[in-house]
Amino acid sequence: MKGRVLVVDDDTALAEMIGIVLRSEGFDPVFCEDGDEALGVFRATQPDLVLLDLMLPGKDGTEVCRQIRAESGVPIVMLTAKSDTVDVVLGLESGADDYISKPFKPKELVARVRARLRRSDEPAPEHLTIGDLTIDVPGHRVERAGRSISLTPLEFDLLVALARKPWQVFTREVLLEKVWGYRHAADTRLVNVHVQRLRSKIETDPERPEIVVTVRGVGYKAGVAGT
Amino acid sequence: MPRLTAWGRLGRALARRPARALGRRWRSSLQLRVLASTLTIGLVALAAIGMYVGELTSGGLFDQRREQLLSEATRSTQQAQEFISASAADTFTGVALLLEDVTTAQRNGGSGERDVFLLRAPGQTGVGVGATATDRSLVELVSRELKQAVVDDRQHWQSVAIPVAGGQVEPGIVVGQNVDVPMAGTYQMFFLYSLQAEQDRLDFLLRTLAVAAVAVVGLLGAMTWLVTRRTVHPVRRAAHVAERLADGHLSERMAVRGEDEMATLARTFNEMAESLQDQIHRMEELSMLQRRFVSDVSHELRTPLTTIRMAGEVIHGARDDFDPAIKRSAELLATQLDRFEDLLADLLEISRFDAGAAVLDAERRDLRGIVLQAVDNATPLAERRGSWLHVDLPDVRADADVDPRRVERILRNLLVNGIEHADGSAVEVRVGVDATAVAVTVRDHGVGMTQDEALHVFDRFWRADPARARTTGGTGLGLAISLEDAHLHGGVLEAWGRPGRGACFRLTLPRRAGIRLDGSPLPLAPDHDEPSVADAGPLRSTDPAALPDLPPMTGEIAIVSNPTDPVRTDVRTDDAAPTASDVAPTASAARRRS
Repeated sequence: MKGRVLVVDDDTALAEMIGIVLRSEGFDPVFCEDGDEALGVFRATQPDLVLLDLMLPGKDGTEVCRQIRAESGVPIVMLTAKSDTVDVVLGLESGADDYISKPFKPKELVARVRARLRRSDEPAPEHLTIGDLTIDVPGHRVERAGRSISLTPLEFDLLVALARKPWQVFTREVLLEKVWGYRHAADTRLVNVHVQRLRSKIETDPERPEIVVTVRGVGYKAGVAGT
Repeated sequence: MPRLTAWGRLGRALARRPARALGRRWRSSLQLRVLASTLTIGLVALAAIGMYVGELTSGGLFDQRREQLLSEATRSTQQAQEFISASAADTFTGVALLLEDVTTAQRNGGSGERDVFLLRAPGQTGVGVGATATDRSLVELVSRELKQAVVDDRQHWQSVAIPVAGGQVEPGIVVGQNVDVPMAGTYQMFFLYSLQAEQDRLDFLLRTLAVAAVAVVGLLGAMTWLVTRRTVHPVRRAAHVAERLADGHLSERMAVRGEDEMATLARTFNEMAESLQDQIHRMEELSMLQRRFVSDVSHELRTPLTTIRMAGEVIHGARDDFDPAIKRSAELLATQLDRFEDLLADLLEISRFDAGAAVLDAERRDLRGIVLQAVDNATPLAERRGSWLHVDLPDVRADADVDPRRVERILRNLLVNGIEHADGSAVEVRVGVDATAVAVTVRDHGVGMTQDEALHVFDRFWRADPARARTTGGTGLGLAISLEDAHLHGGVLEAWGRPGRGACFRLTLPRRAGIRLDGSPLPLAPDHDEPSVADAGPLRSTDPAALPDLPPMTGEIAIVSNPTDPVRTDVRTDDAAPTASDVAPTASAARRRS
């Protein structure tokens, strides 16, 4: 399946190049050069994925990210020239699902985009429970006591990955591979930030998580149901 | 007795604590030391002066009184002699009575109270009358030596201690001279004088002196204390302010009062603090600028590089459609872009260290897991180079607070470096752990390096042999970055090498932040002389079966398989560290697959 990708980057050469690569892979790229216009273009084009440069004229990339996230769960992949901890974490916390540091290879870009556009192809009439939550996998819904909780696709994937094997402790590296599609261990901060975000939505008390539990020194696992 | 010693021990223990506190105070307080030494010197000087004055006064008083008493005794003796000579007593009883009278009469004859004894001279023969005395109990005070001395017909004296009521004694003097008594021969007349009055005067004088001395010492102490206080106080204040400055309160200053030396001290101190503050601010600013520069360069360079790289890849992907020259150009473009990118990444990383912008993202991890991961990643390169990797892990967890990304990078650099220089022989990786530190050594048996080269391997862009081709295309910054990464952990990275005997790199990291390393769980240099590579022919072979027998080591595994090997994947799980039983099945099986 091919999708529409919104590329928000002020460097027109790079944007054009990204466009060439995406188009050759069958995607449909649309462009925006300015942070202030990004939200308008997003609403007008309704893309399936957003590639977002963090350094933009006008509105800052993290701000754009926050605004898009406020009204949509569409996958957002940041393009960042800064691999410094602070910048990456700031970007992730503002709602981005993943990031690619420049300079990247075309294959890497395409792989990232595919990974985020790939919807759960698994043929699964699944209904999972984790803690006091019920998950309708094909319906893409999470409920607690009949009330629906809205998650982004990535957060949903993360929760489902944990809920499918509630007996297993997942290391951050394994989660990166399962949810983000990284083959080799990359930045485990991705996992940390998204687990925090997921907890803030699904835990009754995010300070004392019961659904996504930290296993010290190892990783995360699903909380025991009914406790 | 044991009780007593127990109490004694308790007493000593109690006494020791204040003594120690005093000792600490003594070492830490200049004021106390100056005060103590001034008082000691003052006391010693005053005691010496007091003793000298006392000696002089008592001597003078005694001599004066003695002279007076001696002449008085002479007069009294003459008087008594005349009285005796003039008497008409002619019977022993009469003489006895006469002597009794003389004794009694002389008692009150002098200046004040005295006792008189009239004793027969020693060595007299024949019949005599008994001795007479005003106080018989004191006759014993006239010593035999004095009596003997008086025999020569001259006046003699002796100092004595007169017992008085209450068991006390008074100073006194006995003066004696011969007296001729008719019928009874030679007698000796002794006068006993008390010197208590003189003693009282002397005592009074000495008491007055002592009171004066105490007053002087007190005054001296007070003056010293005041003067040192005025001197030491500003010094203490300066020390306090300096301490605050050292703690980072850079705006701390001393109060300047007046124009004296103390004011100068305060002013100079403040100037120093001022310039210190300026410099630190300037450096902070520079560091901030540098950091921003690094960040800007990073962004500015990376964006066009991304475009170039993508364009290059697209061209490279279509290279089969071009004629050979353009095709080769596309390939060169792609590989050199890779190299350029690595170099840029390493340069940015090292300038981040230089700017002090590198931060440690530490978490507790088992080093064995990180090592296995790094070994896994390096295995394809080892296979390409015809080399293989031996891993020797301890049975216990090697937990330490580390930044896994940085430790992985260090290990990657060490492994790549080891494989590159192993020349197709084994690269041995060992992990060690003790109470304070974890360590990894990466040992190769390749060409090795000299001691001098071992000192330079961590230098930036340093190459052991410029003529050597570098097929793996390192940037020349890998080991320099590894060294910085190790230092960021508070750890050390060391190199050992001998030409022909290979090289060894050792990374030692403290298990917790703040631990100061004073050793390593693993040795850096081999502890015995191993045969050099040239001697051990089989070592050069790429077939592990041709290896000389290795000592069986617990937990040793030979990782030669490709990463997707199912046997390896369960060992590979990162944090759930493999136990000895997990790895035992593969322990002695040194296998090689292609």
